Amino acid sequence: MVESVQSPGQRVAQTAPLLTVEDLTFGYTGQTLLYNVQASVQSGEMVGLLGPNGSGKTTLLRLLSGVLRPQRGHILLDGRELAAWGRRGIAQRIAVVPQELQVPFAFTVEQMVALGRTPFVSVFGTRTSRDREIVREAMHVAEVDGLAERVFNELSGGERQRVMVAMALAQQPRLLLLDEPTSHLDIKYQIEMLELVRRLNREMGMAVIAAMHDLNLAARYFSRLLLFQRGVVADGSPAEVLEPRLLQRVYGVNVQVGVMHGAEHLSVLPPGDPVSLEIAGEVAPKVHLMAGGGSGALMMRALADAQIAFSAGALNIGDSDHTLALRLATEVITEQPFAPISEATRQHLHACLQGSSLLMLCPMPLGPGNLALLQEALAVCQRGVPVLLLLSQNDRTNISLTDDLSSEVLTQLLNTPARDYAHGDGIKLLCQLVAAGARLVASVGEAVEYARRVLVEGDHPGLSV
Amino acid sequence: MKRMQLSLQTSLKRLHTLPAWLTLSLLGLLLLVAIMLGASFGSTPIPLDTILQILLNGTHAFHFARHWDPATEVIVWQYRLPIVVGTALVGAALAVAGTLLQAILRNPLADPFLIGTSSGAALGAAIAFVLPFDTLYGTFFPLTSLLSFIGAIVTIIFVYLLARSGGETPVVTLILAGVVVNTVLVAIQTLLLTLAPHSQFGGITALFDWLSGGVSIVTWSPVVLVAALILPGIVVACCLAGVLDAFGLGEESAAYLGLHVERYKLLIIALASLITAAAVSISGLIGFVGLITPHVMRLLLGPRHRLLLPASAFGGAIFLVLADLLARVVLAPSVLPVGIFTALVGAPFFLFLLKNSKRAYKW
Repeated sequence: MVESVQSPGQRVAQTAPLLTVEDLTFGYTGQTLLYNVQASVQSGEMVGLLGPNGSGKTTLLRLLSGVLRPQRGHILLDGRELAAWGRRGIAQRIAVVPQELQVPFAFTVEQMVALGRTPFVSVFGTRTSRDREIVREAMHVAEVDGLAERVFNELSGGERQRVMVAMALAQQPRLLLLDEPTSHLDIKYQIEMLELVRRLNREMGMAVIAAMHDLNLAARYFSRLLLFQRGVVADGSPAEVLEPRLLQRVYGVNVQVGVMHGAEHLSVLPPGDPVSLEIAGEVAPKVHLMAGGGSGALMMRALADAQIAFSAGALNIGDSDHTLALRLATEVITEQPFAPISEATRQHLHACLQGSSLLMLCPMPLGPGNLALLQEALAVCQRGVPVLLLLSQNDRTNISLTDDLSSEVLTQLLNTPARDYAHGDGIKLLCQLVAAGARLVASVGEAVEYARRVLVEGDHPGLSV
Repeated sequence: MKRMQLSLQTSLKRLHTLPAWLTLSLLGLLLLVAIMLGASFGSTPIPLDTILQILLNGTHAFHFARHWDPATEVIVWQYRLPIVVGTALVGAALAVAGTLLQAILRNPLADPFLIGTSSGAALGAAIAFVLPFDTLYGTFFPLTSLLSFIGAIVTIIFVYLLARSGGETPVVTLILAGVVVNTVLVAIQTLLLTLAPHSQFGGITALFDWLSGGVSIVTWSPVVLVAALILPGIVVACCLAGVLDAFGLGEESAAYLGLHVERYKLLIIALASLITAAAVSISGLIGFVGLITPHVMRLLLGPRHRLLLPASAFGGAIFLVLADLLARVVLAPSVLPVGIFTALVGAPFFLFLLKNSKRAYKW
């Protein structure tokens, strides 16, 4: 087992905790699943429970809901042993939203939500006007009042999830347990769902413990995270818990963690190649790519395959390179369809290039509209940032690129196939770039190799031939 | 055709929106009509108005001048009514047991006989038919009834204990144990009948009649006894409506809602088995009522058990009384097994409703 990491100061209880887990051990027939779990949750806290599949998250939630009994250790609700509250007593204080609900009958949404009152009404099921009021309120808060007469089974996954929350709300719980509330949902419903949960937490003071699979959503919505692997591995703020080495140990896979450009929350990314791993945790140095008219497709795919994050632009909407960049690039600078580079876009590009440590120019068509790109590139090159000029793939010249090239040969090389529609200004700028130190690269593979070395070594390696 | 279908759909839908008390009153009225019809037909037909007057006289609140043969009154009170009322009770009990088991096992194929009651009762009956004596209180409560009741109850206890492990009785284990025990008991029953002396052959035809089902009682006393089990059973079942609704969400969710899942499961299975055993003891094995009535009622009235349970009780009673009526009338004077008609009439009716329900019936 991995050793526990606990942040100092976090454990100082201001008030008596709502829920305390002491030395909890549990297992199904013969197999111990949870070891010595220690944790406590204050009322009004919002806790994300993280851990890989099979780490015991769901089991922990079932223990907390009182459906399972701990084999050793204690779970205290308001300082009193959970089991002592009785099933009904627990259900009046803790509500559970399961991952998925299979209902064989054609219950309507209202009937489902009304079932949330079960722990408060007699076995006869007689409901008072107050019960009905609470049900109506719960449906309103979860925004399912419009679905009241619809049949639960016929709703979409996101709507069903909200109905399940409404049902839990009808229990008026002090603690809401959610088992992977977003796992079956598309991105829109994932966000809606977590916004709803956060609203319940903030506005109604409901404590929340949610098992989460998506580390990024967890980082975004939970102020406290519990990393779980058969026991509590880490407990603290997202910054403390989403530590690459910790995640690597717990999930058994390499990840990168960082704050994405323009975001305020931590992001966890899939593993880079072994090289970029060593720089995990820092903001990765950026590669910027200028392309257009399909000239950048190969390069962008190669960068994405190599897990090298890059920005791209400025690209016109409707350009095939723009569409691809939206999918592959970290950041895309966008210009209106068929429009020349505007001043605002140029500013944006300029700002973006400030953070770049490598610039790649694809053999795009040059025209009066995008000469500004080359001017920016020249500025970058003059700052000493390495610039790569990709040559068109279909001109297999046997000119050695390391040789000093006569300006005539160079012009011919750069203008194959003919791509300067700016009356020679484009080629002139390209030649200036070469003069300022930009390197000519004939293949995408070489460019990627070069990018790797720039990112790792941070210097300007020469091109090996 | 299309329009007919549409208007049928709207009227089916309107049935959903009727207030519960009105629905139940209508069903109660239908049951009374069915009972009178059932009492009216037989070897000597008795006009409906005569039956109504005899019944109303029986309440002592009315007094109609007696313009009928005094024998008619005896026939109605002593022969027809015990059978018809007994049939109604059996139908109600089987339908309610079916509703209970479908809800608790969350299985649309569940019927009162699924987890062993039928084979247990059948074995008990077979033993009774093979044994050369009747009970001392034979006229009060015949051996067949007694042994089939005991057989059903013992079997269900056995199945429950078989399925229980580690403080839990998983539904799947329960169904499997029930099916296996059913098979074994049927085998024992066949063995018993094969080994029985041939002089008992008459007993075997009687057993066949019993297995096909049919209420054949001649006094009030078994009806009263069985009613004393079935009626309170149905009342208790209706009180558990909220619990059954919660079980519809699954056992885990029912537990989250504060229910003691295992306790309620035991209670509900015990209840369903008790009223099934009571019904079977006077009727033999009548199939289909317990399976189809809950589905029909759910189609018509929706899945909530507060309405579904009493409605199923009425529905099962009406259905079985009418099926029994057909069984007695179609080839009169010979009486056909009622099980034939529950299937022959019930199945097309159910399929008709299924085809015409507005939304796909996901049971």
